[in-house]
Amino acid sequence: MIKLEHISKWVNQGNNRIFLLKDINLGIEEGEFVSIMGPSGSGKSTLLNVIGMLDTADEGSYQFYDQPVHTLKEKQRSQLYKQHIGFVFQAYHLIDELTVYENIETPLLYQDTKSSDRKALVADMLDRFNIVGKKDLFPAQLSGGQQQLVGIARALIAKPKLILADEPTGNLNSKQGEEIMDIFTQLNKEDGVTIIQVTHSEKNAAYSNRIIHLLDGRIEHNR
Amino acid sequence: MLTNHWKIAYRSLVKNKFFTTLNIVGLAAGLTCFLLIMLYVTNELRYDQYHENADRIYRINSDIVMGGTELNLAVASDPMGELLKKDYPEIEEYTRIYNSSGAKMIKKGSAFLNETNVAHVDSTYFDVFSAKAVAGDLKNALDEPNTVVLSRSMAEKYFGTTDVIGKNLETNENGSTLYKITGVMEDVPKQSHYRPDFLFAMENCGYKFGQILSHNFQTYLLLKKGTNPASLEAKFPGYIMRHVLPAAQQEMQIKSIEEFEQSGNKLQYSLTALTDIHLHSNRFPELAINGNIQYVYIFSAVALFILLIACINFMNLATARSANRAREVGIRKVLGSGKGALVKQFLTESTLLAYVSIGIALLSAVLLLPLFNELSGKQFILQDLFTSGLISIYLLLPLLVGLLAGTYPAFFLSSFHPLQVLKSKFSTGSSKAGLRSTLVVVQFVTSIILIVGTIIIYRQLNYIQTRNLGFNKDQVLVINNTYTLGTQKQGFRNEVMKLSGVTGSTYSGFMPVAESARNDRTFSTQAAMTSSSGLNMQIWGIDENYIPLLGMEMKYGRNFSKEFGTDSAAIIINETTAALMGLDNPVGKKLYAGNNGGATDPYTIIGVVKNFHFQSMKQQIGPVAFWLNPADWSIAFKVNTGQIKPLITRIEGVWNKMAPGMPFEYSFLDESFSRMYDAEQRVGQLALSFAILTILIACLGLFGLAAFMAEQRNKEIGVRKVLGASVQQIVSLLTRDFLKLVGIASIIAFPLAWYAMNKWLENFAFKTSLGWWVFLLAGCIAALIALVTVGGQAIKAAITNPIKSLRSE
Repeated sequence: MIKLEHISKWVNQGNNRIFLLKDINLGIEEGEFVSIMGPSGSGKSTLLNVIGMLDTADEGSYQFYDQPVHTLKEKQRSQLYKQHIGFVFQAYHLIDELTVYENIETPLLYQDTKSSDRKALVADMLDRFNIVGKKDLFPAQLSGGQQQLVGIARALIAKPKLILADEPTGNLNSKQGEEIMDIFTQLNKEDGVTIIQVTHSEKNAAYSNRIIHLLDGRIEHNR
Repeated sequence: MLTNHWKIAYRSLVKNKFFTTLNIVGLAAGLTCFLLIMLYVTNELRYDQYHENADRIYRINSDIVMGGTELNLAVASDPMGELLKKDYPEIEEYTRIYNSSGAKMIKKGSAFLNETNVAHVDSTYFDVFSAKAVAGDLKNALDEPNTVVLSRSMAEKYFGTTDVIGKNLETNENGSTLYKITGVMEDVPKQSHYRPDFLFAMENCGYKFGQILSHNFQTYLLLKKGTNPASLEAKFPGYIMRHVLPAAQQEMQIKSIEEFEQSGNKLQYSLTALTDIHLHSNRFPELAINGNIQYVYIFSAVALFILLIACINFMNLATARSANRAREVGIRKVLGSGKGALVKQFLTESTLLAYVSIGIALLSAVLLLPLFNELSGKQFILQDLFTSGLISIYLLLPLLVGLLAGTYPAFFLSSFHPLQVLKSKFSTGSSKAGLRSTLVVVQFVTSIILIVGTIIIYRQLNYIQTRNLGFNKDQVLVINNTYTLGTQKQGFRNEVMKLSGVTGSTYSGFMPVAESARNDRTFSTQAAMTSSSGLNMQIWGIDENYIPLLGMEMKYGRNFSKEFGTDSAAIIINETTAALMGLDNPVGKKLYAGNNGGATDPYTIIGVVKNFHFQSMKQQIGPVAFWLNPADWSIAFKVNTGQIKPLITRIEGVWNKMAPGMPFEYSFLDESFSRMYDAEQRVGQLALSFAILTILIACLGLFGLAAFMAEQRNKEIGVRKVLGASVQQIVSLLTRDFLKLVGIASIIAFPLAWYAMNKWLENFAFKTSLGWWVFLLAGCIAALIALVTVGGQAIKAAITNPIKSLRSE
């Protein structure tokens, strides 16, 4: 599904070139649950963003299914990720002005889904996460765990093949965190959704079936 | 998708009540001003366009230079229309208006009323101009002598009905004259350069026809379709050669046009399109007070500027708030929104604001209409705000404003890179502060120009009011129409003089204010009138009390006096006349008054009166002379009492005894004097209103920016305070940048304001100076206003406990 070859990314600081990612080679198959770990500044989030096509590498090739992402124009990349990828953030990033229902519906609006289909899809999703009763509330009226649930529901609404999660439990307490990780596991097992998460927590990493350790922009372990 | 846009726009606006309110108030204020000015401008531009043949009607102008005086007349000689029509087939018809006396006494019941909108017109009047008939056949109504057409409201005023055809209207001409009413027309539309109420047959005007050298008739030509007025104008010298020159040769010994022109004289005819008269014609005598195209331009520019400033505000506040919106933009982009969808969303938001604003603007325009009428001198009614044209403006303008004001913020906001903003490392780019500063500078440039303009206009008005006029305009009560007293004139004067508080009196129709009577005549410095000895000047009939009563001063010689039996052949001239004669002290010299036919009567100069202002200060003081020939159609009393109202009542009592049934009309000389500058007063008030409005709008924007700045720099302020900065230092830190902008704005505004106001002052022959302190004052006012606006926010930020702002990390 994902094939990264010799991916490097850097910034120039004076005459020095500082590598954020250096010569990353990585393959991820459909149906995997991968954790990316490493100390702060090791390039975890950068790698995730490159995979999510929000960022581009300076060097190397990126194959997503059969598409050579590194050669695509921004518009085409955007078209590609909006079809296949869902994002979950540490800070949830819900839109404050929209209700729970509307937040979940938003990605469908950008994919020109018909109104009746949208209704059905959002209703399913609300049902699935047991938040039907909260659909008219605004994000500020929810707890952190509930907000993240909405965030995940929103990521899933467009039926993505791949979920990218950047420290999804970072702002939650351990019980809320466990719930989220259970949902991820369930998604992975039952729906076959590929999941890549960035995490600091060994406990969360244990939910996945592969852990990639990064240090200073290089892959240290890949098991 | 669109409902989503509307929804989020609405909620986002509601959530940020403070900024939304600032935005809406600013935009609504700008739009209100824009709407009212548009109302005024479109009204001014549509004068006389209702005439069916509006595009084919032209008025003849005459430009005459004779003996050092220049006359730009709106009138032509009485035979000119007929002669032109005979000579040039492209002229379909002509018609003339004669209203030299400007008023008539018309009998209603047993009393006479003074009507001022009266004229004698040719029977062709309704062939040239369009009017709606209420009763009678207008086209043939004035074919016979002693006929009159009147307006609907006059028919109702005098008869209580419009069914008046065949009835008689009585005027006091020659004691009593009857006119048969042959037509009633609808009231002439407001947007007309002339709005007569009574049109009398031309035969009754009492004018000695056939004077090709005297210009007294407003003459309008109806050209045949497809005629080029310029090519007709080019034929006018031919008319002069054929018809004017022979008469001039006989009367003034002028041999040829060349000789006439070589001695510095000129005679030239031209045409003004009917639809241009209101805005472009500034001649003498106009039939009514005209507008001024300059003001139309200025007001249009101001309207656009105020709208622009309001839009700038909008852009400024929207981009300043971009930090708050950046996260939303980031999320939407990550969720797959294209740039286009985001741009649309922000434009929806700005358009929504614009629609709300125009609603408020419309409401305020309705509420401000009476005030605006007072300022503009127009009589707009509510319906004028809801014509189909304006309604389409209300629907389209917000769309335009929304796009204009929203486009920049929309593209700016939607271009955020999602990664940067979601990492929340985003700070409101100081790179964009440059643009915001530019916009603030533009606002303050406009404000400062308007402040300078306002100060200078008021300075000039003050200069006019306080300048030594050469006469004393205070405490002079003028009573008009005294000719209706008949033989009782002296009796009336004597009775009023007995009243306490009345200290002097003089009979003269000629007062040194613009709305008074005028009489010009050509004099000669030699017994035989030649084109080089001719001197065209004002000649006023006065009595011996006139000069002392008005506080005029003699430079040489003496006033008229009863002790000299010869004063009926004496004349007093002003300094300008003496200068034109090339003499410093011409006492004892002779002036010869020209007569029709060229004979001249000698007058001996017995005195020179110091120059006094008898026209607007826009004009130089022209030549004027007095002779002892009381023009007794009005009388002036010098009054000296604190109880002016009861005194007038007592004078009216005397009047009613001596002139029963005749209207009692009075005016104060100082008020008549002020009326000469009504237009300038009005411009001053408008400039002041506009200045206040632009400053208000600019301040709203500045206030919003300052509030935002303080919010943005919350943490920085906290850190600085922890490090030991005082409140004063923080406030100066926050206000310094804004004051710098005002400084830059001043530097740009001063030369522009200087240029503009210099141009305006060029209208005046007598004017105030453009002192440097005016500019300094305007700059200080702007700086002070900016300081007050920003200062409150700065102080609020500076006294916040730093722990609060630092904890939120």
